[in-house]
Amino acid sequence: MPESPEVISQTEPHKLSGGGNAAKAVVVSIAAWLVPGLGHLLLRKWGRASIFFLGVAAMAVAGLLLRGNVFTPGGDDPFGTLGFLADVGSGIFYFISRSIESAGPDVSRAAGDYGTRFFATAGVLNLLCVLDAHEIARGRKA
Amino acid sequence: MKSREEGKRRAQPLMLTHLQAMLLFALVVSVAFACLTKRTVADRLRYTLWAFLAFVAVAVVVGWIMYPASR
Repeated sequence: MPESPEVISQTEPHKLSGGGNAAKAVVVSIAAWLVPGLGHLLLRKWGRASIFFLGVAAMAVAGLLLRGNVFTPGGDDPFGTLGFLADVGSGIFYFISRSIESAGPDVSRAAGDYGTRFFATAGVLNLLCVLDAHEIARGRKA
Repeated sequence: MKSREEGKRRAQPLMLTHLQAMLLFALVVSVAFACLTKRTVADRLRYTLWAFLAFVAVAVVVGWIMYPASR
């Protein structure tokens, strides 16, 4: 039985936009992870893009300048693996961390311990921003 | 003579007190949460203020609760 014109007009745009949005959402998510705020920038959310970039950058750079520990992959410690997953969430800041603070971590002081938490927070915040950008790109959020 | 490694170990580019570190953390996380969860500027400002004060208040209260353990 053929669908009535009303049903087609309600369902067709959803199907068409669903496929396109899925591919766009993947691109936006990768961009948002790699450079904090870039996903929102691609979606023309200028305000949120700049706030997320500044927030993640502030936490990541402060964490590194406080000489916090940046976790590397491949450790036997499950907490180290969780730390790596949190740290790598900060995208570009993870990969240039040694350029920002070349002396490396010093967790023998409280400041270094704070730095470790700051950098992990930057990563987790950026992952939340990636989710936000993904949901906007899929049209589930304004 | 100090070695290069020793110099690196002693370098501390950024010094923050415990309070300053906590305030920075509270501010950045409050702003990020507000932008992620609220839509209008007024709602975001209100939520940022509320979350920031909540972070600071909880940290001060927990700090005082833990104070006897530090003595």
